[in-house]
Amino acid sequence: MNFSFPTLTREFYLAALPVLILCFGSIVAMLQAVFKSVGGVGSITVVMLGSLVAALAASIFLMPGVETFYLEGAYLAGALSQFGQISILVISIVVCLLFRETFLSKAFYRGEIAALFMMVVAGMLVMVSSEDLITLFVGLELSSIGLYALVGYLHPTRRSQEGAIKYFVLGSFAAALLLFGFGLLYAATGSMRMSTIVEALPKLADHHWVRLGIVFSLAGLGFKLALAPFHLWAPDTYEAAPTGITAFMATTVKVMILIVTMRLFASGLAPVYDAWATGLTFLAMVSMILGNIMAMVQSSLKRMLAYSSIAHSGYMAIAVCALGGQAGAFPVAAIMYYLIAYSVITLGAFAILMWLESEGNDNLLLDDLAGLAKTHPWASFGMTVLMFSFAGMPPTAGFMGKFFVFNAALSSQLYGLVLIGVIGSSISLFYYLRVIVKMYMSEPVKVAAPLSPLRSPIITGVIVVALALTILLGTVLPGPVMKSMGKASSEVATGHH
Amino acid sequence: MEFLNSHILSFLTFVPLVAAAVVLATPNLALARWVSMGGAIVAFLASLHLWANFDGKTAGLQFTESYEWIPQFGIKFIMGLDGLSLLLVMLTTILTPLILLSLWNVDEKRQKAFLALFMSLECGMLGSLLAFDMVFFYLFWEAMLIPMYFIIGIWGGKNRVYATTKFIIYTVVGSLFMLVAAIALYILHYQQTGQWSTSLLDLYRTQPLYETQLWLFAAFALAFAIKVPMFPFHTWLPDAHTEAPTAGSVILAGVLLKLGTYGFLRFAIPLFPQAVATFAPFLMTLGVIGIIYGALTAWMQKDAKKMVAYSSVSHLGFVVIGCLALVGGGAAISTEALTGAVYQMINHGVSTGALFFLVGVIYERRHTRMLADFGGIAKVMPWFATMLIIATLSSVGLPGTGGFVGEFLILLGTFQSSPLAGALASLGVLLGAIYMLTLCRKILFGPLDKDENKVLKDLSPREFAYLVPLAVLAIVMGVFPNYFLDKSRASIEHLAKNYRNYRIVAVSGDLVPEVKRTAAVQKDGP
Repeated sequence: MNFSFPTLTREFYLAALPVLILCFGSIVAMLQAVFKSVGGVGSITVVMLGSLVAALAASIFLMPGVETFYLEGAYLAGALSQFGQISILVISIVVCLLFRETFLSKAFYRGEIAALFMMVVAGMLVMVSSEDLITLFVGLELSSIGLYALVGYLHPTRRSQEGAIKYFVLGSFAAALLLFGFGLLYAATGSMRMSTIVEALPKLADHHWVRLGIVFSLAGLGFKLALAPFHLWAPDTYEAAPTGITAFMATTVKVMILIVTMRLFASGLAPVYDAWATGLTFLAMVSMILGNIMAMVQSSLKRMLAYSSIAHSGYMAIAVCALGGQAGAFPVAAIMYYLIAYSVITLGAFAILMWLESEGNDNLLLDDLAGLAKTHPWASFGMTVLMFSFAGMPPTAGFMGKFFVFNAALSSQLYGLVLIGVIGSSISLFYYLRVIVKMYMSEPVKVAAPLSPLRSPIITGVIVVALALTILLGTVLPGPVMKSMGKASSEVATGHH
Repeated sequence: MEFLNSHILSFLTFVPLVAAAVVLATPNLALARWVSMGGAIVAFLASLHLWANFDGKTAGLQFTESYEWIPQFGIKFIMGLDGLSLLLVMLTTILTPLILLSLWNVDEKRQKAFLALFMSLECGMLGSLLAFDMVFFYLFWEAMLIPMYFIIGIWGGKNRVYATTKFIIYTVVGSLFMLVAAIALYILHYQQTGQWSTSLLDLYRTQPLYETQLWLFAAFALAFAIKVPMFPFHTWLPDAHTEAPTAGSVILAGVLLKLGTYGFLRFAIPLFPQAVATFAPFLMTLGVIGIIYGALTAWMQKDAKKMVAYSSVSHLGFVVIGCLALVGGGAAISTEALTGAVYQMINHGVSTGALFFLVGVIYERRHTRMLADFGGIAKVMPWFATMLIIATLSSVGLPGTGGFVGEFLILLGTFQSSPLAGALASLGVLLGAIYMLTLCRKILFGPLDKDENKVLKDLSPREFAYLVPLAVLAIVMGVFPNYFLDKSRASIEHLAKNYRNYRIVAVSGDLVPEVKRTAAVQKDGP
């Protein structure tokens, strides 16, 4: 075997600058935690937001937009990586801003939390821009370990610690499964790089290790994506975590894992489509049915959104399955569109929850919303738009997302999955409407004590932007957005063949 | 003015939406009423302009507009008007100002929101009738549900939440299947032509295999059958009608239900003609069951509103069998039946709309709709009695009213297609007369024995103002049917004769040069 130590070129540093900035920022924040004189909320804000914004700028301007491999594929720049990095960074910045106005503001803007948060983001960036399974796994662990801590440590209560432990134990187990799967793939093909694996696979398609490797990888990724039956951690952790962290997890983790899933399955494991598609089809079907049915009976809003996110993972998995069929690269664009739509709606919904929350009442129940339309007409209006968008009603982002996903799936003739998707969507309407019924058609039982909108300009702003985007993504933006996805989607379908 | 002329359909569709937005911004209810009424009247005038300039001699699309939306998927914003939609557009724009007038005295806290929702509902209805792009049709079709959902859910009766949830879930389930079928058709069209397009004019050219047609037709038919509603998907309707406020019931019966039968004519039948021939006997059977079952159930009702609601199930059954009365071994649809069906849609909108208004009038005075609580009201409310009798007679199809023309034509066509269905449907006419006259008798005649009823006031000038146009229409439509049908005849005959190979071209507006340009095949896409 030929081994030469890869050279670190200037181009590599430029392409990896977002990650490097965040690592540096996180070290600074850690030092700030030690030297209290520079560790005030103000200076932490500057370091954290500064690093995130600088990383975002680096990702937009300095990263190559064409597929470029560095360090033997350990780092992969390109349109898809860029899409992932930009989405994750934008969401992170929004979440940071949201925290400023909650009762957790002081707790969040602490040196150690800021360091953890930036590490998580750095790990996610690594994960969406790697082609090598080892780097990919390192990125995953870096982000997961930080997330376990953020769930339990940011606002340590009995409940959040319990959620963190559950997430940690199950998450570590899933990471082990994923690593084992990668190990088996390595054992069979002799490589950790997707582009080499894909070349070796056709001869090994029926190899037991390959099949087992796929099963374990699916289980690991399915866990992170909260696909049923690997979803059990999601409702508990979503409910236990501080709402801002829940919003962060619900969006960024989906972006990161879906990009990795598309790369791994559609590019790296393309020759064994039948093997992974069978498994993923099963996961998608169970998620759509179970997620939607369980969401109907929840009384906590965060739990309901957790189950709904399980169902949405299922819808996106439909499009991943479509990647092997006649649809070509279109499913990638469909998934990317869905990710944008889903992230916007989810952030908007959680921002409204954060607006309504207070220290003593940070796990809102459906009943807390009763009669909200009378006391807070605008918040209820916003929630209504977002719920209809979740349910996929036009003219909102959610509808276009479903339209593209069903389109991709039907092009690849996945009729069964589409049928389950339709049934799932019909069920989902029921629980999204339940929220609206509570707000508009019930008498107030107990009024939550929200912040006044004037004192929370950032949260209000985020909600307004999310609502505007929800409508725009369903009306005027689909054309331009889908057009800009073209390059990234061609990377997955053609990149490694 | 030139601009307005070339964008008249978008203008007509979006004026109500703009009015809705302005209504929300108005400082007080009085102004909000005027703004919404202004929007409705402008829309009415725009539709009168269409009526006056519409060329009834051609079956082509007129006043077309077309704008790119998502070019790489071939999704365009296409609007057009032909004889099938013209009458329904007119019905919508006439009913809306009348309904707003009926709401003039309502002074509730959230009335502004009601008016805004109502105006956006008008936008959704007009959009679904005018859109000639599958995606935009679906967009309007679904968007229309949201205002109706709130209208029933917030301003409805005691069981409103149950009724409105049932209404929206039933409809959305059907619509989702339709969406999937529409996407499948869109992909098929691409496979056959190499061109992505959601334009209905292009999709008509798609020729799916017979087996595929069966599935796609079933999905479309399910969506429309729920909307109509046909037996056995009708159970949401009585609930929705009973719980909805009067304005909601009027628009629901007047226009929303017709969108289901319109969907059959515009989409399900011409898109999947081979499947139509297979499904027609089955759907005819459901239609006939609907007629008789609806009539018998209406007869048994004690609540006047429920009675009118079930009468809708029965009457819409006639429209459905009229749309599907195949003759010549499935070679064509009976022109008479189809003409009757189109005409009956309008008649039903006028007469049932009036009936719901009238039930609303007495409900407002007595806060009850039970037939047993009334009796002998003709003595104290002679004008109310006159209006109710006109509406009833039109509803049962007495010669001289619009209902007669519609039902007669439908039965004429149905007898040619299937004598058995025709005979059973005629039984429905008889039953219709029985229960509607029962309604009249129980409310208007008999002894005036309840003290509360003795002091009832007759129609106010405002109530007159919104009932008289409907009464006049019911009679004019019965006496001069050709005045209305002349506008639609070409389109109806075109569909009836050529449904197996339906094509439609634009004859005026943006789309005309577009057709010539389609030679340049668009290759890029998903």
